[in-house]
Amino acid sequence: MIGLARKIVAGGVVAAVILPFIPLIMWSFSNRWFYPDLWPRPWGTRAWEYVLGIAGSQITAALGRSLWVAAVTAVMAVVVGTPAGRALGLYDFKGKDLVSVLLTLPVIVPPLCVAMGLHLWFIKLGLAETFGGVVLVHLTFCLPYTVFVMWGVFSNYNLDFEDQARSLGASTLQVMYRVMLPLTFSGIVVAGLFAFLLSWSQYLSTLIIGGGKITTLPILLFALMGSGDRPVAASVSIVFVVPAFLALLLSARHLGRRSITGVR
Amino acid sequence: MTVKSENSGVDARTRPVPGGWVLVRLMGPALTIVAVLFGGGLTLGLLQSLGHLPAAGAGVLTVKHFVAILGDPDFLHSLLLTLYIAATSTVVAAGISVVMALILIGLAPRNRVVHFIFQIPLTVPHLVIAAAVAFMLSPTGLCSRVVLKLGLISSSADFPLLINDRWGIGIMLAYVWKEIPFITLMILAVLRHTGMELLEVGQTLKAGRWQRLRYIILPTIFPSLAAASLIVFAYTFGAFEVPFLLGQTYPMMLPVWAYKNYSDVDLLARPEGIATGMLIALVVAIAIVLAQGLSQAARRRGIVL
Amino acid sequence: MRVHRFNRRRWFWYLTILVMLFTFGRGGMVRAEEPSWPEILKRARGQTVDWFMWGGFPSTNAFVNGYVVPRVRELYDVKLRQVPVKDIAEVVSKILVEKQAGKKAGGEVDLMWINGENFRTCKRHGLLFGPFADLLPNQKLVDWSRPSVYNDFGEPVDGLESPWGSAQVVMIYDSRRTPQPPKTMGELLAWIRSHPGRFAYPAPPDFTGSVFVRHVFYHVAGDTASWQGKFDEKRFAEAAHECYKVLRELIPYLWRQGETYPENPIRLAHLLADGEVDFAISYHPAEASKMIHDGLYPESVRTFVFQEGTISNTHFVAIPFNAADKEGAMAVADFLLSPEAQLKKADPQVWGDFPAIDTRRLDKTWQVEFANLPRGIATLSDEELQTHQLPEPPSEILIRLERGWDQHVLKGR
Repeated sequence: MIGLARKIVAGGVVAAVILPFIPLIMWSFSNRWFYPDLWPRPWGTRAWEYVLGIAGSQITAALGRSLWVAAVTAVMAVVVGTPAGRALGLYDFKGKDLVSVLLTLPVIVPPLCVAMGLHLWFIKLGLAETFGGVVLVHLTFCLPYTVFVMWGVFSNYNLDFEDQARSLGASTLQVMYRVMLPLTFSGIVVAGLFAFLLSWSQYLSTLIIGGGKITTLPILLFALMGSGDRPVAASVSIVFVVPAFLALLLSARHLGRRSITGVR
Repeated sequence: MTVKSENSGVDARTRPVPGGWVLVRLMGPALTIVAVLFGGGLTLGLLQSLGHLPAAGAGVLTVKHFVAILGDPDFLHSLLLTLYIAATSTVVAAGISVVMALILIGLAPRNRVVHFIFQIPLTVPHLVIAAAVAFMLSPTGLCSRVVLKLGLISSSADFPLLINDRWGIGIMLAYVWKEIPFITLMILAVLRHTGMELLEVGQTLKAGRWQRLRYIILPTIFPSLAAASLIVFAYTFGAFEVPFLLGQTYPMMLPVWAYKNYSDVDLLARPEGIATGMLIALVVAIAIVLAQGLSQAARRRGIVL
Repeated sequence: MRVHRFNRRRWFWYLTILVMLFTFGRGGMVRAEEPSWPEILKRARGQTVDWFMWGGFPSTNAFVNGYVVPRVRELYDVKLRQVPVKDIAEVVSKILVEKQAGKKAGGEVDLMWINGENFRTCKRHGLLFGPFADLLPNQKLVDWSRPSVYNDFGEPVDGLESPWGSAQVVMIYDSRRTPQPPKTMGELLAWIRSHPGRFAYPAPPDFTGSVFVRHVFYHVAGDTASWQGKFDEKRFAEAAHECYKVLRELIPYLWRQGETYPENPIRLAHLLADGEVDFAISYHPAEASKMIHDGLYPESVRTFVFQEGTISNTHFVAIPFNAADKEGAMAVADFLLSPEAQLKKADPQVWGDFPAIDTRRLDKTWQVEFANLPRGIATLSDEELQTHQLPEPPSEILIRLERGWDQHVLKGR
């Protein structure tokens, strides 16, 4: 009885997640598909030939740029965010509430407000329409996320291991690499993934600071989305989902282990 | 309101505080980046919306842009629409998430595939889900084709308008689909850490199903549920892509309006766009304060552990 | 790469000084010191040109990326990059901000595809480099005596942009569903009222929606030629009032009772393809044929123009004042006017955009090539189109109509 109910729920979840992708996939493989036909007549790969052929170099370039922006943002967020998370997770100090409010605000306040304000300043600094400028504006709200994730990780962290290592004569650097890093590695992956995904799907802040010049995949997708070609728009959308999906798949081991140890 | 302050374990409170210098070294870079970029961005935005143009030298500060926006009858219209859409999608997503979390906590250890699939929406950009919703629910979308084949409607004109519609149904569906996993995973994290042990205690004390939900589960998950909902609310209140693609021509949601003015070739419209952005930030800030007030009131009444 | 940049910057300063010399020093008209074309091409070598353009039309994207990019690389060693944007007005506003912020050089935008009100904004705010059009050798193929070429929406071009194509509004319909389409705007309005829910137009300020409103304006205001001259506020207000009234009364008969509007011609095309409405509007006479070819429209789709004519205009490319690679941009602008590029562009299998050059100025072999171009199944003949052309009204009228539509039709004030 309960087993059946669970199966239904599991099936429901899977269906609800997969459902929106069905029309995307069908449209991307259609040569002609008029209302009210239930499926394309005929099926075909014209859109994929366009996306991987003529538009291929543009899409690959945008894909590369998106990956690069998201990866650099994620790495910077983790490198800067981990020590802050450590301080917040391990110690109680005066002004901790203030720090936490300061870090909460960028998570809450929409990127649009910040990007609009930064634009003129970035132009003056020569940061507008540059890779660095886009990474910086993404970092503004990716960084707090990583701090919060690492805060959570470090509040369950046992300092005794570090003390033991130190008493056995390990240097600070060795303690960091041999003790802290392995113990918090899953958390770091999760924090990095958060920052990566957040940066990956940014549209408006990239558009405002990048000025259309830093053509990340969302910028290109939006421009192509207005396309009269629904098959093309659908196949570009699929191209957009795949890398983030792979990022999740690759980090699934870490996410998975975390959730299992959490339950048991 | 702090997003994850509940995570600071007992250890942190008993551990001796290291010297201020250590704290500065650990937190300094992160705080500097946030203060300069985020604080600077907001401050500059505020200055520009007050009519200050850096290139033209120091100008006289004026509130005329705010007056113009607040005096526009469309502003109230857009504000109400935005509040309605953001609040509804948050409440619906939060409600479903609580149920999902309770189901998944029993399911997850046995079925990692479901758990994995459940996380997929987290990786799907809003842009893509908006496109997918349009393909699915437009008057000639896949759903319409299916019900037509079933003979429930006779032409696409009979199919209800679900995208670009007055009630923002398409927008809300896209947001709900996208945000459920986010809220659910936030709740699950807490349930796994503390909830299960408490539940076992409850079971040994022979607490009923409803009692366990009311007195153990809800209080345990409340802080992270509230925090996650607040993040979702703030996001849906200030995001651009989904309402741009799935919204009605008029009235527009505030972020679309802000960006439309911001990118207008008429230079006078730009400060108004930024001012609208500042008002969005203000509403979100008010939401935070209200949420904090509510949760403190709730805590006083003993609802939360 | 570094050396390269340095050179580019130096050339740019050189050029700026030149421009300043003849714009400020000599009353703006004398251009004695302008570089010769071979000199420009020499400087263009190795430059990377970023061409910002509306990216919503796959045929255009395919023409640019699949043909222009490799050709200018072969011919001039110019690396052309298409930067697709969803609305070129955003780029114009960006350059405006750069001007405000005092960014005078090294701008990322080298070439823009613009016309109409965006050109007017650029010109009024001094955002354009030039005049440069006269420097291009292929400019001799353009008939500059045509009003739609020397005036861009009533705004004198003054050599600040170079034409590369022309467009004319056509109405698109499915001959199987609507065997007898209306012949005039008046008949169309009557048709809409007798077929509730079967017509839609994109919401202005979308380009195509805006041009539909201008057709209604011409219909109620009459005498299209008289609006070309000096702008008369009072006369305009009366005509515009009438135009909004007609459009407001149309709302209940529109698709979805006017609760929402398609946001661009593309969404409108989807509505026609899916059988939700019976007409689409396009600024590109050959677009319907191309879409039939790509399987996006059924075979039975055809186009027509109103008996009183439809609006036509020319589209241009322009170079921003602070562009980093102006010579490369000029080389591209010139290439776009070459017979081979114009022929390729006019091919309905590629794009089917109308030539910006006067094909009678070409030698015989090229003329034959143009004459032999296959004509798409739904495309009207050149003669049919050319004898049914109306001019664009000046930008003042266009902008007022767009704002007025927003206030009086959309918001019903």
